[in-house]
Amino acid sequence: MNQEEEKKTTKEQDAAQALIANTEETAESAPEQENVVASAPAKEAEDKNKMFRKYKIKDIVFLAIMAACMLVTGAIMPLAAQVPVFGIIQVCLGLQFSIFPVIGMMKVRKPGALLFMSLCCGVVLVFMNAVMFVCLLICAVIAEGLVLLIFRGYKKDGACLLAGTVYFPVTLPFLYIYYRFMYSWTGEEGQAVNAFLGSSAGMAVGMSIAVLAICFIGALVGLFISQELRKSGVMKK
Amino acid sequence: MALWNKKLYPLVAILAGLFIIVFGLVMAKEMLVCSIFLAAVFVWLLLFGCRKSCLHALPMFLIVAGIFFGIFYGATGTVDSGWAMANRFGAVFLAIVPGMSTTPVRMTRSLSQVHTPRSVTLGMLIAMSFVPMLKGEIKRVREAMKTRGAGSVLNPKILYRAFLVPLVMRLVNISDTLALSVETRGFALGKVRYTIYKREKIALSDIVFVLGLIAGAVLVIVL
Repeated sequence: MNQEEEKKTTKEQDAAQALIANTEETAESAPEQENVVASAPAKEAEDKNKMFRKYKIKDIVFLAIMAACMLVTGAIMPLAAQVPVFGIIQVCLGLQFSIFPVIGMMKVRKPGALLFMSLCCGVVLVFMNAVMFVCLLICAVIAEGLVLLIFRGYKKDGACLLAGTVYFPVTLPFLYIYYRFMYSWTGEEGQAVNAFLGSSAGMAVGMSIAVLAICFIGALVGLFISQELRKSGVMKK
Repeated sequence: MALWNKKLYPLVAILAGLFIIVFGLVMAKEMLVCSIFLAAVFVWLLLFGCRKSCLHALPMFLIVAGIFFGIFYGATGTVDSGWAMANRFGAVFLAIVPGMSTTPVRMTRSLSQVHTPRSVTLGMLIAMSFVPMLKGEIKRVREAMKTRGAGSVLNPKILYRAFLVPLVMRLVNISDTLALSVETRGFALGKVRYTIYKREKIALSDIVFVLGLIAGAVLVIVL
Protein backbone atom coordinates (compact mmCIF):
# COMPACT_ATOMS: atom_id res chain seq x y z
CA MET A 1 0.00 0.00 0.00
CA ASN A 2 2.82 2.38 0.99
CA GLN A 3 4.65 1.73 -2.26
CA GLU A 4 1.47 2.46 -4.24
CA GLU A 5 0.92 5.69 -2.33
CA GLU A 6 4.53 6.72 -2.94
CA LYS A 7 4.13 6.02 -6.67
CA LYS A 8 0.96 8.12 -6.72
CA THR A 9 2.63 11.04 -4.95
CA THR A 10 5.67 10.94 -7.27
CA LYS A 11 3.35 10.92 -10.29
CA GLU A 12 1.45 13.91 -8.92
CA GLN A 13 4.72 15.69 -8.18
CA ASP A 14 5.98 15.03 -11.71
CA ALA A 15 2.76 16.33 -13.19
CA ALA A 16 2.89 19.40 -10.98
CA GLN A 17 6.52 20.08 -11.93
CA ALA A 18 5.69 19.70 -15.63
CA LEU A 19 2.82 22.10 -15.20
CA ILE A 20 5.03 24.63 -13.43
CA ALA A 21 7.70 24.31 -16.12
CA ASN A 22 5.10 24.82 -18.81
CA THR A 23 3.72 27.92 -17.11
CA GLU A 24 7.21 29.32 -16.73
CA GLU A 25 7.89 28.76 -20.43
CA THR A 26 4.65 30.49 -21.47
CA ALA A 27 5.34 33.31 -19.03
CA GLU A 28 8.75 33.83 -20.62
CA SER A 29 7.39 33.89 -24.16
CA ALA A 30 4.30 35.98 -23.26
CA PRO A 31 5.95 39.40 -23.64
CA GLU A 32 7.17 38.42 -27.13
CA GLN A 33 3.65 37.33 -28.14
CA GLU A 34 2.18 40.47 -26.67
CA ASN A 35 4.61 42.44 -28.77
CA VAL A 36 3.54 40.53 -31.88
CA VAL A 37 -0.19 41.05 -31.12
CA ALA A 38 0.37 44.68 -30.36
CA SER A 39 2.42 45.24 -33.49
CA ALA A 40 -0.27 43.80 -35.86
CA PRO A 41 -2.85 46.59 -35.39
CA ALA A 42 -0.07 49.14 -35.40
CA LYS A 43 1.10 47.78 -38.74
CA GLU A 44 -2.47 47.87 -40.07
CA ALA A 45 -2.88 51.46 -38.94
CA GLU A 46 0.45 52.30 -40.54
CA ASP A 47 -0.69 50.63 -43.76
CA LYS A 48 -3.92 52.62 -43.70
CA ASN A 49 -1.96 55.84 -43.66
CA LYS A 50 -0.04 54.86 -46.77
CA MET A 51 -1.22 56.19 -50.12
CA PHE A 52 -0.58 52.97 -52.04
CA ARG A 53 -1.76 49.84 -50.27
CA LYS A 54 -1.84 46.21 -51.27
CA TYR A 55 -5.04 44.78 -52.67
CA LYS A 56 -6.76 41.97 -50.83
CA ILE A 57 -8.91 39.29 -52.40
CA LYS A 58 -12.10 40.83 -51.02
CA ASP A 59 -11.21 44.12 -52.75
CA ILE A 60 -10.65 42.40 -56.06
CA VAL A 61 -13.94 40.49 -55.75
CA PHE A 62 -15.97 43.58 -54.90
CA LEU A 63 -14.46 45.64 -57.70
CA ALA A 64 -15.05 42.81 -60.17
CA ILE A 65 -18.70 42.65 -59.13
CA MET A 66 -19.05 46.39 -59.64
CA ALA A 67 -17.41 45.97 -63.05
CA ALA A 68 -19.99 43.27 -63.86
CA CYS A 69 -22.74 45.75 -62.96
CA MET A 70 -21.20 48.31 -65.29
CA LEU A 71 -20.96 45.67 -67.95
CA VAL A 72 -24.58 44.53 -67.71
CA THR A 73 -25.98 48.05 -67.70
CA GLY A 74 -23.51 49.12 -70.38
CA ALA A 75 -24.45 46.39 -72.82
CA ILE A 76 -26.13 48.96 -75.07
CA MET A 77 -22.77 50.63 -75.72
CA PRO A 78 -22.09 48.92 -79.09
CA LEU A 79 -25.54 49.93 -80.29
CA ALA A 80 -25.28 53.51 -79.02
CA ALA A 81 -21.80 53.79 -80.53
CA GLN A 82 -23.22 53.42 -84.02
CA VAL A 83 -25.51 56.43 -83.70
CA PRO A 84 -23.53 59.31 -85.20
CA VAL A 85 -24.22 61.90 -82.53
CA PHE A 86 -21.49 63.41 -80.41
CA GLY A 87 -21.53 62.06 -76.85
CA ILE A 88 -24.47 59.73 -77.31
CA ILE A 89 -22.62 56.83 -75.59
CA GLN A 90 -21.80 59.01 -72.61
CA VAL A 91 -25.38 60.29 -72.32
CA CYS A 92 -26.80 56.76 -72.46
CA LEU A 93 -24.30 55.23 -70.03
CA GLY A 94 -23.18 58.18 -67.90
CA LEU A 95 -25.41 57.30 -64.97
CA GLN A 96 -24.33 53.66 -64.67
CA PHE A 97 -20.68 54.43 -65.31
CA SER A 98 -20.61 56.87 -62.42
CA ILE A 99 -22.86 55.16 -59.84
CA PHE A 100 -21.05 51.81 -59.74
CA PRO A 101 -17.45 53.09 -59.89
CA VAL A 102 -18.20 55.48 -57.01
CA ILE A 103 -19.65 52.62 -54.92
CA GLY A 104 -16.57 50.55 -55.74
CA MET A 105 -14.19 53.34 -54.74
CA MET A 106 -16.14 54.12 -51.58
CA LYS A 107 -15.61 50.56 -50.38
CA VAL A 108 -12.14 49.94 -51.73
CA ARG A 109 -10.41 53.22 -50.99
CA LYS A 110 -7.18 52.39 -52.74
CA PRO A 111 -5.51 53.95 -55.76
CA GLY A 112 -6.04 51.79 -58.81
CA ALA A 113 -9.60 50.76 -57.91
CA LEU A 114 -11.10 52.68 -60.83
CA LEU A 115 -8.45 51.38 -63.20
CA PHE A 116 -9.11 47.81 -62.09
CA MET A 117 -12.87 48.20 -62.63
CA SER A 118 -12.24 49.63 -66.08
CA LEU A 119 -9.95 46.73 -66.91
CA CYS A 120 -12.42 44.04 -65.77
CA CYS A 121 -15.24 45.75 -67.60
CA GLY A 122 -13.08 46.39 -70.65
CA VAL A 123 -11.96 42.81 -71.10
CA VAL A 124 -15.51 41.98 -72.12
CA LEU A 125 -16.23 45.34 -73.73
CA VAL A 126 -13.27 44.89 -76.04
CA PHE A 127 -15.38 42.47 -78.09
CA MET A 128 -18.11 45.06 -78.56
CA ASN A 129 -16.26 48.35 -78.70
CA ALA A 130 -12.48 48.13 -78.69
CA VAL A 131 -12.06 51.91 -78.95
CA MET A 132 -14.16 52.52 -75.88
CA PHE A 133 -12.09 49.98 -73.95
CA VAL A 134 -8.87 51.86 -74.62
CA CYS A 135 -10.60 55.18 -73.90
CA LEU A 136 -11.91 53.89 -70.57
CA LEU A 137 -8.47 52.73 -69.49
CA ILE A 138 -6.85 56.06 -70.38
CA CYS A 139 -9.63 58.00 -68.67
CA ALA A 140 -9.37 55.87 -65.54
CA VAL A 141 -5.67 56.69 -65.35
CA ILE A 142 -6.41 60.41 -65.78
CA ALA A 143 -9.20 60.40 -63.17
CA GLU A 144 -7.03 58.52 -60.69
CA GLY A 145 -4.12 60.86 -61.34
CA LEU A 146 -6.32 63.89 -60.69
CA VAL A 147 -7.62 62.43 -57.43
CA LEU A 148 -4.13 61.54 -56.24
CA LEU A 149 -2.90 65.02 -57.09
CA ILE A 150 -5.75 66.85 -55.37
CA PHE A 151 -6.75 64.55 -52.50
CA ARG A 152 -3.66 62.30 -52.23
CA GLY A 153 -5.82 59.20 -51.98
CA TYR A 154 -9.42 58.09 -51.58
CA LYS A 155 -9.82 58.73 -47.85
CA LYS A 156 -12.26 61.58 -48.40
CA ASP A 157 -15.67 61.06 -49.97
CA GLY A 158 -14.98 64.05 -52.20
CA ALA A 159 -12.18 62.13 -53.88
CA CYS A 160 -14.56 59.35 -54.91
CA LEU A 161 -17.10 61.92 -56.07
CA LEU A 162 -14.53 63.71 -58.20
CA ALA A 163 -13.22 60.50 -59.75
CA GLY A 164 -16.77 59.30 -60.51
CA THR A 165 -17.74 62.63 -62.07
CA VAL A 166 -14.63 63.06 -64.19
CA TYR A 167 -14.11 59.46 -65.28
CA PHE A 168 -16.67 59.14 -68.08
CA PRO A 169 -16.80 62.72 -69.47
CA VAL A 170 -13.02 62.58 -70.06
CA THR A 171 -13.70 60.01 -72.79
CA LEU A 172 -15.32 62.73 -74.94
CA PRO A 173 -12.14 64.48 -76.18
CA PHE A 174 -10.37 61.14 -76.60
CA LEU A 175 -13.14 59.77 -78.78
CA TYR A 176 -13.03 62.94 -80.82
CA ILE A 177 -9.30 62.62 -81.34
CA TYR A 178 -9.67 58.95 -82.23
CA TYR A 179 -12.36 59.56 -84.84
CA ARG A 180 -10.46 62.43 -86.37
CA PHE A 181 -7.26 60.40 -86.54
CA MET A 182 -8.84 57.18 -87.74
CA TYR A 183 -11.03 58.69 -90.38
CA SER A 184 -8.37 61.01 -91.69
CA TRP A 185 -6.24 57.90 -92.07
CA THR A 186 -8.90 56.27 -94.23
CA GLY A 187 -9.32 59.46 -96.20
CA GLU A 188 -12.84 60.35 -95.13
CA GLU A 189 -12.00 62.99 -92.60
CA GLY A 190 -14.56 65.68 -93.24
CA GLN A 191 -17.56 63.41 -93.41
CA ALA A 192 -16.65 61.32 -90.41
CA VAL A 193 -15.76 64.19 -88.12
CA ASN A 194 -18.95 66.02 -89.05
CA ALA A 195 -20.99 62.94 -88.39
CA PHE A 196 -19.28 62.46 -85.06
CA LEU A 197 -19.72 66.04 -83.88
CA GLY A 198 -23.27 66.42 -84.99
CA SER A 199 -24.11 69.44 -87.09
CA SER A 200 -22.69 72.21 -84.90
CA ALA A 201 -20.13 72.99 -82.21
CA GLY A 202 -22.95 74.28 -80.02
CA MET A 203 -24.47 70.86 -79.98
CA ALA A 204 -21.13 69.34 -78.95
CA VAL A 205 -20.77 71.80 -76.07
CA GLY A 206 -24.37 71.18 -75.01
CA MET A 207 -23.86 67.42 -75.05
CA SER A 208 -20.63 67.75 -73.06
CA ILE A 209 -22.40 69.76 -70.36
CA ALA A 210 -25.23 67.22 -70.33
CA VAL A 211 -22.75 64.35 -69.93
CA LEU A 212 -20.98 66.14 -67.09
CA ALA A 213 -24.28 66.80 -65.32
CA ILE A 214 -25.45 63.19 -65.73
CA CYS A 215 -22.16 61.85 -64.39
CA PHE A 216 -22.23 64.23 -61.42
CA ILE A 217 -25.76 63.10 -60.56
CA GLY A 218 -24.70 59.46 -60.92
CA ALA A 219 -21.66 60.00 -58.71
CA LEU A 220 -23.83 61.69 -56.08
CA VAL A 221 -26.30 58.78 -56.15
CA GLY A 222 -23.42 56.34 -55.73
CA LEU A 223 -22.08 58.37 -52.82
CA PHE A 224 -25.47 58.47 -51.07
CA ILE A 225 -25.97 54.73 -51.52
CA SER A 226 -22.54 53.99 -50.05
CA GLN A 227 -23.07 56.34 -47.13
CA GLU A 228 -26.44 54.76 -46.41
CA LEU A 229 -24.98 51.27 -46.53
CA ARG A 230 -22.14 52.31 -44.27
CA LYS A 231 -24.59 53.71 -41.74
CA SER A 232 -26.54 50.46 -41.78
CA GLY A 233 -23.30 48.54 -41.25
CA VAL A 234 -23.42 46.59 -44.50
CA MET A 235 -20.47 48.38 -46.04
CA LYS A 236 -17.44 48.68 -43.83
CA LYS A 237 -14.89 51.37 -44.44
CA MET B 1 -0.96 19.93 -81.29
CA ALA B 2 -4.52 18.65 -81.39
CA LEU B 3 -6.02 18.27 -84.84
CA TRP B 4 -9.54 19.52 -84.32
CA ASN B 5 -11.00 21.30 -81.31
CA LYS B 6 -14.73 21.70 -81.09
CA LYS B 7 -14.28 25.14 -79.54
CA LEU B 8 -12.00 27.99 -80.55
CA TYR B 9 -8.84 28.64 -78.53
CA PRO B 10 -9.82 31.55 -76.20
CA LEU B 11 -7.05 33.93 -77.24
CA VAL B 12 -7.82 33.22 -80.90
CA ALA B 13 -11.45 34.06 -80.12
CA ILE B 14 -10.46 37.42 -78.60
CA LEU B 15 -8.25 38.32 -81.55
CA ALA B 16 -10.86 37.14 -84.06
CA GLY B 17 -13.50 39.31 -82.37
CA LEU B 18 -11.20 42.33 -82.53
CA PHE B 19 -10.34 41.68 -86.15
CA ILE B 20 -13.99 41.29 -87.20
CA ILE B 21 -15.14 44.50 -85.52
CA VAL B 22 -12.25 46.63 -86.77
CA PHE B 23 -12.35 45.30 -90.31
CA GLY B 24 -16.15 45.35 -90.46
CA LEU B 25 -16.37 48.96 -89.28
CA VAL B 26 -13.63 50.13 -91.63
CA MET B 27 -15.21 48.39 -94.63
CA ALA B 28 -18.85 49.12 -93.74
CA LYS B 29 -19.23 51.68 -96.50
CA GLU B 30 -18.27 49.13 -99.17
CA MET B 31 -21.84 47.90 -98.99
CA LEU B 32 -22.10 44.68 -101.00
CA VAL B 33 -18.55 43.40 -100.46
CA CYS B 34 -18.73 44.01 -96.71
CA SER B 35 -22.10 42.26 -96.47
CA ILE B 36 -20.73 39.24 -98.31
CA PHE B 37 -17.68 39.20 -96.01
CA LEU B 38 -19.86 39.35 -92.91
CA ALA B 39 -22.11 36.59 -94.22
CA ALA B 40 -19.05 34.44 -94.91
CA VAL B 41 -17.75 35.13 -91.39
CA PHE B 42 -21.12 34.09 -90.01
CA VAL B 43 -20.92 30.75 -91.84
CA TRP B 44 -17.27 30.36 -90.80
CA LEU B 45 -18.16 30.88 -87.16
CA LEU B 46 -21.02 28.38 -87.49
CA LEU B 47 -18.52 25.81 -88.72
CA PHE B 48 -16.00 26.46 -85.93
CA GLY B 49 -18.03 25.74 -82.82
CA CYS B 50 -19.90 29.03 -82.43
CA ARG B 51 -23.25 27.74 -83.67
CA LYS B 52 -25.22 28.48 -80.51
CA SER B 53 -23.89 32.00 -80.12
CA CYS B 54 -24.45 32.71 -83.83
CA LEU B 55 -28.07 31.64 -83.56
CA HIS B 56 -28.50 33.76 -80.43
CA ALA B 57 -27.00 36.83 -82.05
CA LEU B 58 -28.87 36.53 -85.38
CA PRO B 59 -32.39 37.56 -84.25
CA MET B 60 -30.96 40.41 -82.17
CA PHE B 61 -28.98 41.63 -85.17
CA LEU B 62 -32.03 41.44 -87.46
CA ILE B 63 -34.15 43.50 -85.06
CA VAL B 64 -31.54 46.18 -84.28
CA ALA B 65 -30.21 46.45 -87.84
CA GLY B 66 -33.80 46.58 -89.15
CA ILE B 67 -34.69 49.45 -86.80
CA PHE B 68 -31.59 51.48 -87.65
CA PHE B 69 -31.93 50.72 -91.36
CA GLY B 70 -35.46 52.09 -91.17
CA ILE B 71 -34.36 55.22 -89.29
CA PHE B 72 -31.52 56.01 -91.67
CA TYR B 73 -33.57 55.20 -94.76
CA GLY B 74 -36.30 57.48 -93.45
CA ALA B 75 -33.83 60.27 -92.64
CA THR B 76 -31.77 60.23 -95.84
CA GLY B 77 -34.15 58.65 -98.36
CA THR B 78 -31.36 56.43 -99.72
CA VAL B 79 -30.66 52.76 -99.09
CA ASP B 80 -26.89 53.30 -98.86
CA SER B 81 -26.69 54.85 -95.39
CA GLY B 82 -29.08 52.27 -93.98
CA TRP B 83 -27.12 49.45 -95.57
CA ALA B 84 -23.81 50.78 -94.19
CA MET B 85 -25.46 50.97 -90.79
CA ALA B 86 -26.64 47.37 -91.06
CA ASN B 87 -23.08 46.36 -91.97
CA ARG B 88 -21.72 48.10 -88.87
CA PHE B 89 -24.22 46.31 -86.66
CA GLY B 90 -23.38 43.05 -88.41
CA ALA B 91 -19.71 43.57 -87.55
CA VAL B 92 -20.56 44.41 -83.94
CA PHE B 93 -22.78 41.35 -83.45
CA LEU B 94 -20.36 38.99 -85.21
CA ALA B 95 -17.46 40.30 -83.11
CA ILE B 96 -19.36 39.39 -79.96
CA VAL B 97 -19.98 35.79 -81.14
CA PRO B 98 -16.47 34.30 -80.54
CA GLY B 99 -16.40 35.86 -77.08
CA MET B 100 -19.86 34.55 -76.27
CA SER B 101 -18.89 31.02 -77.25
CA THR B 102 -15.83 31.01 -74.97
CA THR B 103 -16.61 30.14 -71.36
CA PRO B 104 -15.10 32.37 -68.66
CA VAL B 105 -13.28 29.38 -67.17
CA ARG B 106 -11.49 28.55 -70.42
CA MET B 107 -10.64 32.20 -70.95
CA THR B 108 -9.16 32.44 -67.44
CA ARG B 109 -7.22 29.22 -67.86
CA SER B 110 -5.81 30.40 -71.13
CA LEU B 111 -4.84 33.82 -69.73
CA SER B 112 -3.21 32.12 -66.74
CA GLN B 113 -1.14 30.06 -69.14
CA VAL B 114 0.29 33.25 -70.63
CA HIS B 115 1.15 34.49 -67.10
CA THR B 116 -1.50 37.19 -66.76
CA PRO B 117 -1.53 38.54 -63.16
CA ARG B 118 -3.79 36.53 -60.86
CA SER B 119 -5.76 39.59 -59.76
CA VAL B 120 -6.67 40.35 -63.38
CA THR B 121 -7.73 36.80 -64.22
CA LEU B 122 -9.75 36.53 -61.00
CA GLY B 123 -11.42 39.88 -61.62
CA MET B 124 -12.19 38.96 -65.19
CA LEU B 125 -13.54 35.56 -64.22
CA ILE B 126 -15.86 37.09 -61.64
CA ALA B 127 -16.97 39.91 -63.94
CA MET B 128 -17.82 37.45 -66.71
CA SER B 129 -19.46 34.77 -64.62
CA PHE B 130 -21.33 37.18 -62.41
CA VAL B 131 -23.51 38.53 -65.21
CA PRO B 132 -26.19 35.76 -65.08
CA MET B 133 -26.19 35.91 -61.28
CA LEU B 134 -26.66 39.66 -61.42
CA LYS B 135 -29.63 39.25 -63.72
CA GLY B 136 -31.13 36.86 -61.15
CA GLU B 137 -30.54 39.36 -58.35
CA ILE B 138 -32.15 42.18 -60.34
CA LYS B 139 -35.15 39.93 -60.96
CA ARG B 140 -35.42 39.13 -57.24
CA VAL B 141 -35.26 42.78 -56.21
CA ARG B 142 -37.92 43.65 -58.76
CA GLU B 143 -40.13 40.85 -57.50
CA ALA B 144 -39.70 42.17 -53.96
CA MET B 145 -40.69 45.60 -55.24
CA LYS B 146 -43.83 44.15 -56.79
CA THR B 147 -44.68 42.32 -53.58
CA ARG B 148 -44.32 45.50 -51.57
CA GLY B 149 -46.29 47.44 -54.17
CA ALA B 150 -43.43 49.88 -54.59
CA GLY B 151 -44.53 51.17 -58.00
CA SER B 152 -42.63 51.88 -61.18
CA VAL B 153 -38.83 51.88 -61.47
CA LEU B 154 -39.12 54.94 -63.68
CA ASN B 155 -39.87 57.04 -60.61
CA PRO B 156 -36.40 58.24 -59.41
CA LYS B 157 -37.31 58.05 -55.70
CA ILE B 158 -38.56 54.48 -56.02
CA LEU B 159 -35.62 53.56 -58.22
CA TYR B 160 -33.21 54.76 -55.53
CA ARG B 161 -34.96 53.57 -52.38
CA ALA B 162 -36.59 50.32 -53.49
CA PHE B 163 -34.26 49.16 -56.26
CA LEU B 164 -30.71 50.52 -56.09
CA VAL B 165 -30.17 50.41 -52.32
CA PRO B 166 -31.39 46.78 -51.87
CA LEU B 167 -29.50 45.69 -54.99
CA VAL B 168 -26.19 47.15 -53.86
CA MET B 169 -26.81 45.75 -50.37
CA ARG B 170 -27.19 42.27 -51.86
CA LEU B 171 -24.09 42.77 -54.00
CA VAL B 172 -22.00 43.76 -50.98
CA ASN B 173 -23.17 40.67 -49.09
CA ILE B 174 -22.53 38.42 -52.08
CA SER B 175 -19.05 39.89 -52.56
CA ASP B 176 -18.16 39.23 -48.91
CA THR B 177 -19.29 35.60 -49.18
CA LEU B 178 -17.56 35.15 -52.51
CA ALA B 179 -14.30 36.60 -51.19
CA LEU B 180 -14.38 34.22 -48.22
CA SER B 181 -15.14 31.32 -50.50
CA VAL B 182 -12.24 32.23 -52.81
CA GLU B 183 -9.85 32.53 -49.87
CA THR B 184 -10.90 29.22 -48.31
CA ARG B 185 -10.19 27.53 -51.63
CA GLY B 186 -6.58 28.52 -51.28
CA PHE B 187 -6.57 31.35 -53.78
CA ALA B 188 -3.78 33.84 -53.16
CA LEU B 189 -2.66 37.01 -54.83
CA GLY B 190 0.95 37.76 -55.54
CA LYS B 191 3.71 35.53 -56.79
CA VAL B 192 2.43 32.17 -55.61
CA ARG B 193 3.04 29.08 -57.74
CA TYR B 194 -0.07 27.37 -59.07
CA THR B 195 -0.89 24.45 -61.29
CA ILE B 196 -3.16 24.48 -64.31
CA TYR B 197 -4.52 20.95 -64.46
CA LYS B 198 -6.25 21.26 -67.80
CA ARG B 199 -4.19 23.26 -70.23
CA GLU B 200 -5.74 24.99 -73.22
CA LYS B 201 -3.97 24.02 -76.41
CA ILE B 202 -4.06 25.59 -79.80
CA ALA B 203 -5.36 23.17 -82.45
CA LEU B 204 -5.07 22.93 -86.20
CA SER B 205 -8.71 24.02 -86.43
CA ASP B 206 -7.77 27.37 -84.83
CA ILE B 207 -5.10 27.96 -87.45
CA VAL B 208 -7.54 27.07 -90.25
CA PHE B 209 -10.08 29.45 -88.72
CA VAL B 210 -7.61 32.34 -88.58
CA LEU B 211 -6.34 31.67 -92.10
CA GLY B 212 -9.91 31.62 -93.38
CA LEU B 213 -10.63 34.99 -91.78
CA ILE B 214 -7.47 36.54 -93.22
CA ALA B 215 -8.20 35.08 -96.66
CA GLY B 216 -11.71 36.56 -96.55
CA ALA B 217 -10.36 39.99 -95.59
CA VAL B 218 -7.75 39.89 -98.34
CA LEU B 219 -10.43 38.93 -100.88
CA VAL B 220 -12.60 41.86 -99.75
CA ILE B 221 -9.70 44.31 -100.18
CA VAL B 222 -8.73 42.88 -103.56
CA LEU B 223 -12.29 42.85 -104.89
